[in-house]
Amino acid sequence: MVARVMIHHRGWIASESSLSGEAPYRRGGSTHQHIVRAWILVASLVGLWGVVLFGIAALKVLLVSVLCAVIADMAIQIMTRRGRGRLPRAVLTGLLFGLTLPATAPLHVAIVGSLIAVMVGQAIFGGFLHPALVGRVVVQAFFVNSLSLSGPLLMSPVLAPGHLLVGDLDKAVPVTDYQGWLSPQASATADAYKIDRPVQILRRFTQDRIPADGEYFYEPLLRDQLPPWWDTVFGVVPGGIGETCTIMLIIGGLFLIHRGYLRWQLPVTILASAALAAAIMPVNLGADYRWFPVLEVEQGRAVGLAYVFFHLTAGQLMLGAFLMAGNVVASPMRVHGQLVFGAGIGVLTIFMRLYGTLEGECYWSILIMNALVGTINRRMKRQVLGLAG
Amino acid sequence: MSFLFNLLGPQKAFSGGLFLPDYKSVTARRPIELLNVDGPLHLPLTVRRDLKTTPCVEVGDHVRRGQRLSRSTCHDSLPVHAPTSGRIVELGRVWSAFDGYLPSAVLEPDGRDEALPQHQGWEDESLIVQLAEHGVMCADPRAPLHVVIKQAVAKGVTDLIVNAMETEPYLTSDLRMLVEEHGRIIDVICELADALGVSHAILALPFRHRRVVKRMQAEAQGRYVEVAALANPYPQCQPHVLVKALLQCEVAPGGSVLDKNVVVLPLSAVGQAAKALLDDRPLTHAVMTVAGDAVERAGTYRVAIGTPMRHLAERVGLVSPVGKAVCGGPLTGHALGNEEAVVTADTKALLLFSEVETSVPVPCIHCGWCVEDCPVGIDPTTLMHLESRMNCTDTEMAHLRACVDCGLCSYVCPAQLPLSETIKRMRTRFERERDPQWLRGS
Repeated sequence: MVARVMIHHRGWIASESSLSGEAPYRRGGSTHQHIVRAWILVASLVGLWGVVLFGIAALKVLLVSVLCAVIADMAIQIMTRRGRGRLPRAVLTGLLFGLTLPATAPLHVAIVGSLIAVMVGQAIFGGFLHPALVGRVVVQAFFVNSLSLSGPLLMSPVLAPGHLLVGDLDKAVPVTDYQGWLSPQASATADAYKIDRPVQILRRFTQDRIPADGEYFYEPLLRDQLPPWWDTVFGVVPGGIGETCTIMLIIGGLFLIHRGYLRWQLPVTILASAALAAAIMPVNLGADYRWFPVLEVEQGRAVGLAYVFFHLTAGQLMLGAFLMAGNVVASPMRVHGQLVFGAGIGVLTIFMRLYGTLEGECYWSILIMNALVGTINRRMKRQVLGLAG
Repeated sequence: MSFLFNLLGPQKAFSGGLFLPDYKSVTARRPIELLNVDGPLHLPLTVRRDLKTTPCVEVGDHVRRGQRLSRSTCHDSLPVHAPTSGRIVELGRVWSAFDGYLPSAVLEPDGRDEALPQHQGWEDESLIVQLAEHGVMCADPRAPLHVVIKQAVAKGVTDLIVNAMETEPYLTSDLRMLVEEHGRIIDVICELADALGVSHAILALPFRHRRVVKRMQAEAQGRYVEVAALANPYPQCQPHVLVKALLQCEVAPGGSVLDKNVVVLPLSAVGQAAKALLDDRPLTHAVMTVAGDAVERAGTYRVAIGTPMRHLAERVGLVSPVGKAVCGGPLTGHALGNEEAVVTADTKALLLFSEVETSVPVPCIHCGWCVEDCPVGIDPTTLMHLESRMNCTDTEMAHLRACVDCGLCSYVCPAQLPLSETIKRMRTRFERERDPQWLRGS
């Protein structure tokens, strides 16, 4: 029961300001803090899944990048004497940056990258290029060897043996010096396995570097090279900490869409346009380019569809679509603009994957489209009521 | 197909808008309750500051219910009547939330509530004279109803829209009126349509109150009132947006719906006209919602005009001190401005909230929610820059004028920016600067 307040002579209003002010007197509940908190929640869930997959080393990378981002942000606050209250944004930037790194990344990469993300991406560019991705592409350029996700370098992507989720290890090479686990298993001969990233395999395939099996081109790719599809869905493939776990990214994205902080049109457009581009763009097979790979059928199996599916789930596209592209500051204001923005990201990603050599193609295409957001916003003005024609 | 249409409801009829949480579940179920007068009434003697009247009572006079307290001095003015019987103890001034100080008479009720004998001669009078004599007021546009009708007739309107949308949160007076007076409302709409000479009268209702829609449709069967059930995203209740949704015509920025030969009347005016025309009773009470989280017995009340808001708050009971008191809807209303504010003829709600919403604005984060939700399609974030500028372009001026002051941009803004407040302020500022008379005057 609520006690009824006795109204004394002038006691019914709390203060004089109760009687003044301009309309509207009520506000919707969502402030910028709520938005950032929701994104941090989703990013940490994805990060948690990454820790389950890749061990304590992933946690170290994430913690170091978040910590550095916070320190950098506090340093900027002291230098510019700006008010506090932007720390959650720095946490989010650090977290998102950490999600793009593989668990094998050395800690100095995480430190440098997250300092650049906050100091350059957030403070100098003002967040209009996605800050975490700015950090990511800069360290990509600085530390090619440590980050390179293929080839015979020491720090290659690795996969856990004998843990909660184990991928298909038939094609893997055992490694003994990963040391990314909390309690190494005494009985295991190796503490990690090296295999190629699915994106790397797809790239090799499109450049005709996977030998054909007689008249079949896709069969050797799907049978011998790529991991099974459920591994790419549950994230048991090598790659960045948050890049591989498709299912977690989709769940987190659905949560953001439900909260209204991400428009469903954006990830849907990115994935649809990427699928369309992968379905159409020609692949170099046997010294000639074949258009419409989605229509390929070998031994009565729709291998073309499987090829397109792996383009979506392998690598950074899911992380880009659900957590990176929807950045509130760096995406277009209107839904129509976001459709164009998303379509650009999807097509550019597949284009760079098929014909480019740049690593992190999805991150590059998001940054390119971020640079075009101003133009998109100017072109996508709404029609004002009564000013038509 | 019609089954599907019933299931899914109508489509949103304009771009933008938002379905707001409406907080009506308690008040919508309670019948309209007549609050007896049990304290002195501070009756404003005119309904709007610029409509002059002369008082026709003296201090010490005994008046009866329905007796005239002031006489109109011009054609557009309205007389004011006593809501109950009692003694005039003082002629002074009183604060109204819309107009500031108005001349007033303080009526000390005697508790007997004697009525003036019914006047029998109204049948000969025209509807316009009846409305003027009974003091019927229209809330939007804020003018006497007979003046609105005269202007509309002079303009030659072809459509009458009665606006019962009420999409703003908390407000339930229109809904309760539809539930309780459904037959009378249709009758009076027909009479008003006759007086206006229009062939097309539309009653716009929110689709989500399906039983109300069904009953109104049954009432309107065979009459020439069309019952239009619309989806109710806020601000479907704004006349410009309503005209766009129902008649597909767009009012030019700064214009009124009369330019498109349409007249939009709020349902409250129709209800008041029903009292005047069918019951031959002058306007003495306002039907208003009293709600908010500080209110103990929230509901829709028939309150005597001149009741002090503070007294009204005591009558409905408070569960906590009032942090924000609003006269009208939460998104378009007015602050009370003064503790002594009273209920006037066009008050539609008193909202009492326990906590003051403190907002600390941060720089725009470019989320685009205001652009996406704006019912007229302007970009509030770019109009914010006008604050630091000396002049504005014609396009920006047109955008400022196109704004319907629904307040949705400020409502949704996650950066808590005062968007609609700034647009309103910039509009008055630049309109004043563009006005040559003002320049000459200075």
